[in-house]
Amino acid sequence: MSASGDVARAVMRGAFGANRGRTALATLAIALGVGLGYAIQTVNRSAIAEFTSGMATLSGSADLVVRGPADGFDEAVYARIALDASVAAASPVVEVDARLPGRDEALRLVGVDALRAGAVTPALLGRGDSALDLLRPDRVFLSPAALVWLGLAAGDELAVQAGTSLATFMVGGTLEAPVGLRLGVVDIAAAQEAFGRLGRLSRIDVRITPGASVDAARAAIAGALPAGVTVERPGETADMAARMTRAYRVNLDVLALVALFTGSLLVFSTQALSVVRRRAQMALLRTLGLPRRRLAGLLLGEGALIGAVGAALGLVGGHALATVLLSVFGADLGAGFFRGAAPALDFSPASALVFAALGIAAAAGGAWLPAIEAARASPAAALKAGDDESVFGRLASPRPGLSCLVAALAIVALPPVGGLPVFGYAAIALMLIGTLLLLPRIARAILARVPQPRSTVAVLALDSLRAAPGQATVSLAAIVAAVALAVSMAIMVASFRESLSSWLDRMLPADLYLRSGGASSTGWLAPEDQRAIATLPGVRRAEFLRVLRVTASEGDPPVVILARDVDRASAADRLPLVGDAAPVPVGDAEVAWVSEAYADRYGATPGTSIELPIAGRAVTFAVAGVWRDYARQSGAVIVERGAYARLSGDERANDAALWLAPGASAGSVRETIERRFGPGRVTVASPGEIRAVSLAVFDRTFAVTYVLEAVAVAIGLVGLSASFGALALARRREFGVLRHLGMTRRQVGAMLAAEGGIVSAVGLAVGLALGGAISVILVHVVNRQSFHWSMDLRFPVAQLAALSAALLALATVTALASARRATAGDAVLAVKEDW
Amino acid sequence: MIRLSGLARAFPGPPPRPLFSGLDLSVAPGEIVAILGESGSGKSTLLNLIAGLDRPDAGSVVVDGAELSVLDDDARTRFRRERLGFVFQAFHVLPYLPVARNVALPLALNGVPDAAGDARVASLLDAVGLGDRAASMPRELSGGELQRVAIARALVHAPAVVLADEPTGNLDPRTAASIVALLRDTLKARGATGVLATHSHAAAAIADRVLVLAPDGLSPAAVHR
Amino acid sequence: MIATRRRVLAALSLGCLPRLAGGQAVGTLPPVVTDAGVRYPVVLPGMPIAFPRDHGSHPDFRTEWWYVTGWTSDDAGVERGVQITFFRSRPGIGEASVSAFAPRELLFAHAAVADAATGRLVHDQRAARAGFGLAAASTATTDVRIDRWSLVRDGDAYRARIDARGFALDLAFRAVQPVLLQGDRGVSSKGPKPGQASGYYSVPQLATGGTIEVGGRTFAVRGRAWLDHEWSSAYLPAEASGWDWIGVNLDDGGALMAFRMRGRDGGTTWAGGTLRDASGRTRTFAPHEVAFAPGRTWRSPRTGVVYPVTFDVRAGDLAVALEPMMDDQELDARGSVGIVYWEGAVRVRARGLPAGRGYLELTGYGTPLAL
Repeated sequence: MSASGDVARAVMRGAFGANRGRTALATLAIALGVGLGYAIQTVNRSAIAEFTSGMATLSGSADLVVRGPADGFDEAVYARIALDASVAAASPVVEVDARLPGRDEALRLVGVDALRAGAVTPALLGRGDSALDLLRPDRVFLSPAALVWLGLAAGDELAVQAGTSLATFMVGGTLEAPVGLRLGVVDIAAAQEAFGRLGRLSRIDVRITPGASVDAARAAIAGALPAGVTVERPGETADMAARMTRAYRVNLDVLALVALFTGSLLVFSTQALSVVRRRAQMALLRTLGLPRRRLAGLLLGEGALIGAVGAALGLVGGHALATVLLSVFGADLGAGFFRGAAPALDFSPASALVFAALGIAAAAGGAWLPAIEAARASPAAALKAGDDESVFGRLASPRPGLSCLVAALAIVALPPVGGLPVFGYAAIALMLIGTLLLLPRIARAILARVPQPRSTVAVLALDSLRAAPGQATVSLAAIVAAVALAVSMAIMVASFRESLSSWLDRMLPADLYLRSGGASSTGWLAPEDQRAIATLPGVRRAEFLRVLRVTASEGDPPVVILARDVDRASAADRLPLVGDAAPVPVGDAEVAWVSEAYADRYGATPGTSIELPIAGRAVTFAVAGVWRDYARQSGAVIVERGAYARLSGDERANDAALWLAPGASAGSVRETIERRFGPGRVTVASPGEIRAVSLAVFDRTFAVTYVLEAVAVAIGLVGLSASFGALALARRREFGVLRHLGMTRRQVGAMLAAEGGIVSAVGLAVGLALGGAISVILVHVVNRQSFHWSMDLRFPVAQLAALSAALLALATVTALASARRATAGDAVLAVKEDW
Repeated sequence: MIRLSGLARAFPGPPPRPLFSGLDLSVAPGEIVAILGESGSGKSTLLNLIAGLDRPDAGSVVVDGAELSVLDDDARTRFRRERLGFVFQAFHVLPYLPVARNVALPLALNGVPDAAGDARVASLLDAVGLGDRAASMPRELSGGELQRVAIARALVHAPAVVLADEPTGNLDPRTAASIVALLRDTLKARGATGVLATHSHAAAAIADRVLVLAPDGLSPAAVHR
Repeated sequence: MIATRRRVLAALSLGCLPRLAGGQAVGTLPPVVTDAGVRYPVVLPGMPIAFPRDHGSHPDFRTEWWYVTGWTSDDAGVERGVQITFFRSRPGIGEASVSAFAPRELLFAHAAVADAATGRLVHDQRAARAGFGLAAASTATTDVRIDRWSLVRDGDAYRARIDARGFALDLAFRAVQPVLLQGDRGVSSKGPKPGQASGYYSVPQLATGGTIEVGGRTFAVRGRAWLDHEWSSAYLPAEASGWDWIGVNLDDGGALMAFRMRGRDGGTTWAGGTLRDASGRTRTFAPHEVAFAPGRTWRSPRTGVVYPVTFDVRAGDLAVALEPMMDDQELDARGSVGIVYWEGAVRVRARGLPAGRGYLELTGYGTPLAL
């Protein structure tokens, strides 16, 4: 080890010591980015692993799964498939989501033929006293998680809603279901009979004859299936679930990357300022013979060290965070994709390594520019005072920044890649980077246009900033990034919330809503229930809704069909249509209104026609319009209920909308309904309650976003404070001189506060503009492409004003505090400090 | 113009190290006094006491008729702003202001309108030989030039007293000689009183009176020109 | 009685027959037994047996089976035992259901090949609820099937197709003798009480031909087999823990069936049998005329259960000695249906000379067959 190396290391160590606060902060920011990213990744992987293993256990040794719409398909398909030469075993299944009185969450009930399931899906066999119990229509076997959840034991009774009545089962025992999966198994005949599924199956699990080709068998089976029934490999379901959550997951990952980027910026500001402060020391080292490359290496190493420590902290914290997130928000971070699964945390060394590498790269990246600059500087020039600004000379050319912005504009409107708004995200990154690169110029331009103030102190503050926009940029970068992020998120969330709110108004025109259950639920309204509801005292008009879930195209997530009491004449008034409605088709063509998600996925536009599987037949519908739907991400189609009933013979309904007679009170109608159906059999809610719940769900879904937003602002502020502090300390000599020349302490403080105020005002202005631009991309590109949600841009003026005021105030206070520290010392000693 | 009597000051301890005590000095208006002494003898401290930047342990400091030891910090700051000028060893020209603005700084702090001050700044820059460098930035100047800027700044607001602490410490002998000559000439031209702390006999030689600082006070010294 | 033990076998091996334990009302001789609200007809003395109707299924009765066991030899002279059993059960569940999946009628099947070259049984099983044309037992004639397993009577022959894991059977069994009605004209007593009976007939000396695929090779085979068909709603006495049964095609064209019920102490609680000699003269044995004397034992390396694998059986004047084709003919179905029994091909000697080939069934040697 060379002597110069020792000296160099000593200088570096000294620098670390001197910058302890900022270094710690940068480390923390990196830790945050790594931790968030790792936690999100881990939570998601755990959820998918749980889901996949659940699916794997449930589908057992099935090679293929034949699956139909939520209300099932003709059981005759079973006999055809079971007799196929390539089929070794076929296990028919009826699957429903059982409404349990007094509980919001449904219990998945699987009706199996125990004599068939054993050969394909042994995990779905109950474990009772007698094997015969598995066939008894009044027995249910519950997974361990379901037993715990329901607080039941063998011999207890479980009441399940069937239509608007109750079916009672006795708990026969447990079954070998995967950990965390809430599941009950009943006999298939009982499931068909109790839940109105006579003649219908939900799926058939198929094991192929050993040696036969799965693909050939799949093709043979597929050829004999009715419309809307598909055959797939069991893994594809889990893949599909993973795919459905991918956009949301990527969204969160990008937020984590933003945190990492902020951390990188903090490392940059720390290192840039520290290089400025140590300029003379480093020049001395170079003069003493330290090679250029070694100096750059040492500085990069500092960055990497910050990154490594940050990454280590982040992984530990991320693991803890993942644990907390899993237990508090569930496996899907509040988005509701993995209901009923409480997964175990799944540690992956590979993903830990990836995020650690990202953290180190981000930190080293932040240290790169200052390191290169320090190494390039001529030692002679650096030893002279007043040379501090040249570090930032490299940022003088506007070309890279402008190129980024132009590139962002060029790619922002490109279509998604694999359902992900890759170009939208890239455009946001380019805009951010471009703006940051242009920041010295922008700052100079803005500062040059600030009118000359009257107060000497303000003039001095402005002069100091104008003369050193580079150093100001360092402070600015953090604040611009933070403000832009916070502002864009705030605008996006506000736009979304506002749009959701007006969408809810549009979707909820009635006085009361009655809900019996979803597409695969065991709760429904039979025609006599519907007649009873329509003629209840106090009800002027009732409309009904039938919900179906079908597979529109093999391998795609299910599409929801809503058969509504809406017709072509009233659609424009009743549906939240976007864009132009097609001319109403004449003649007897069936019509459908497709959601934006459906329109995006299948390219359905008004005037085109689509095919939907209705009761096993493919029916052609003319698309009469596109409507906005925030509820069903994988696509929904509204059809006329009369047409649906005619096509399918299915006259059940899931929901009802009630308009009250003049003078009738919602409360008394509610009571009448409760009396008619029994407590808890149907859910009755006012539009206001539904609104409140929907918005609460919205807020919960965005809770993670809010947290990240707050964190970004905090990082920005703390970064600002840190760089102010550093700058103030670096300028102690200057303050000392000013004190000599007759400036009071207060004036020095005021000057620094003014600088802080000006810098944060500039940062705020740039951040607001950038954030506004990013929010447009978020609203019109990222959300549209990720979730197929269109929304109207709304600027939450009050919120932005409050954010701006708070930031300005905090920045000024921060600057004042650093001034106080910088001038607290002896002015006499300050002027003596040589560095 | 300056009258110090019975002044005592110790380096703050523990244990306190006495620098000097029983120090008396009287400087007439327009007189330039040089204080010679080894490093650490208390020259700068003495200057700081005269500037009101430090308080004596004992004795009184009267500058331009004001008893500094009884004034509060703000009053002393105001006093410094209006009545004193400084020249430092390390120049301390603000790097982000052009030469003229650096020189104008005391005027600005005293609330003199730019229009009124510009002429004074120009005349002083001319006086220190930098009339054509008004718009230059400090980093473009040599050490000697920077100290000229500092001298101009020290005199621009027509202070009663200019305090110079090792003004030649960072300069080569030739530049140092020209700087102290300039300092003397400009002080004399404007009738300002000067106190020069230095360890350089060459620098001290420009003074009207040369004193040596010792723990028991000041005593006249012979200077080798 | 055979019926009884086979029924118990079915109940245990498939775990899905209701517990009745001789709960039939005695004395009043009711026409039905009732269990959990389900009314089952019982077999009463004098019940007429009529063909072809009684070749078919009797779905009202609680349980029923068709049971084929036989010896075959291929072109190389290698002998293999074959067992094919179809069970039907009416568990009394879902009687009122309108679902096509209602488990009103359950069908089970066991099949096994005893191959001395393998050294143990190759076996497999099927279970299904009747319906969808996938599992059915015809009421017109013998026609029972589960997926691709079937046993069908056509004319005077039976055809069995079994496509199992590890082996496949495609065999025709042609009747060369008339049906042998067991017990009292087809009503076979199972215990001392009048209601304990089954409808039971056998078809011995079935001329067997077809193919056996085992170990990846297909063999053309010929041989002799025995068919039992039995139905009942009543069960064996609760004191029985298992039974021993034989069905033997005698070389001279005669046929011997004998069984005994074993109590928990190992002693005989009931016994019976029938002998039809070569001339067609049939003798039915009273319980005291039948005796089983166990000889050598074999311990299963898989289950640890000890079975007597040789017997001296006396039925009236006839005394025969049984020697298994191989010791290990244990059918271990614990993994799927939870019981273990021994069902094996045996050679039969009388007075020291080879006299016939048949099947021996031993149950309840592991844990008592508690009902």
